[in-house]
Amino acid sequence: MMNTIWIIARKEGAQMLRSQRGMIWLLTFSGLLSAFSLLLVSNTELSLLDNAQVVYMMAGTVMAAGALLAAILGSDAYAGEKERGTLVPLLCAPIAPNTLLAGKILGLLTAWGVMFAVATPYLWAVGASGQNLGAALFYLALFGTPVALGFGYLAVALSARTGSVLASLLGTVTLLMLAASPLVIGPGLRGTAVGRILDAINPFAGALNTFDSVIIDSDPFSAQTSRLILVTVWLVLCLLAARRSAARPDFQ
Amino acid sequence: MKIWKTLFPVILSAFLFVSVSAAAQAPVALDLQPGGKNPASPVMGDHLQFWSTITNTGETPIEGLVAWISLVEIDPGNEQPVDLEDWSAHKAVTGASLKPGQSLRTDWPMRLIKGGDYRVVVSVTDRGGRQVYTSPTVQFHVRQKPVLQAGRVLPVAAAIPLLFIGLMIFNNTRRRHGNGRL
Repeated sequence: MMNTIWIIARKEGAQMLRSQRGMIWLLTFSGLLSAFSLLLVSNTELSLLDNAQVVYMMAGTVMAAGALLAAILGSDAYAGEKERGTLVPLLCAPIAPNTLLAGKILGLLTAWGVMFAVATPYLWAVGASGQNLGAALFYLALFGTPVALGFGYLAVALSARTGSVLASLLGTVTLLMLAASPLVIGPGLRGTAVGRILDAINPFAGALNTFDSVIIDSDPFSAQTSRLILVTVWLVLCLLAARRSAARPDFQ
Repeated sequence: MKIWKTLFPVILSAFLFVSVSAAAQAPVALDLQPGGKNPASPVMGDHLQFWSTITNTGETPIEGLVAWISLVEIDPGNEQPVDLEDWSAHKAVTGASLKPGQSLRTDWPMRLIKGGDYRVVVSVTDRGGRQVYTSPTVQFHVRQKPVLQAGRVLPVAAAIPLLFIGLMIFNNTRRRHGNGRL
């Protein structure tokens, strides 16, 4: 079983590291981070920002890009196989649904790991002379991973349920845009009653608030417990949805 | 009788003066001092600490006391209140109560985000009163610091996309050669 999971995960991971599509994504992602870093260096007003503020902004961007990639790969997981005509042979093969799902999930995790590795030098470049760079990397891994993977699992669930890459992608990306709105909404709007409620149930906002708390305010781990529970619950719920849908994928 | 005619206005004036003075005296005394360990010439990224002491100088307890810190930038041509969002996680003390004569000492940590001249003040009000009392201000200057080093950002920003372009070319060439052999 482990061998089967490993084979599927390697195939999924190879899409990221060897295929033209994966390389284009990584090039786009690194281009985005490069443009962001250069903008911070060249703009006099933005360059007044403290390192910690820059690292916080970049950590949020990396998490958003990771969630977007997870949504794309997750949407392709079952519906893409169906559209390429490879889902039926895959379902006929002696592979348990959970094994197939585990392989796909491991592939998502590999893709996120590659993105994290690509983002690390950028975070170092903008934040090495400031504070809490180590904490930023640690919390990006601890909170960014469940948030990004959660969107991937949700996309897998929609992909298996609808059998359409477009429908899955549309649904997940719309939800992701809604969840990532705290990146562009100012603290004033987020301070309203509705904003606070959204913050309390939105895992993306929870992770962002943790980045703010630990990178800028140097708050301890104990202050992040409720947000850690929030992102863990998000991950588990999305995993359950993916597991349920993947047990009976739409292949007709 | 003459003495009474002379003394009565004097007594009345004295009584009125005491009454008006008592009414005009603020029931709250506020003091604000910079922390002893604050750097003499702070630079962006440094941490400052301010200590406020709020004393109930009235004769009745103060309930539902709210104290908050405000920061104002006073650079010529750029005078404006500062949003403390990134400067401080500790922006207010709420719900405290003070008995007559009791004091509340609070520290206000602050991280310096931007260079310039600033003035900090602590304000206090309570649930029942309609007045806002302010402390004396403390002024400080934050020295500018270049926070992003172009010498470190530029190589990373250029090298990583180039690395992926190189990998794409390498993969394409290998694939073409592999297909050629087939």
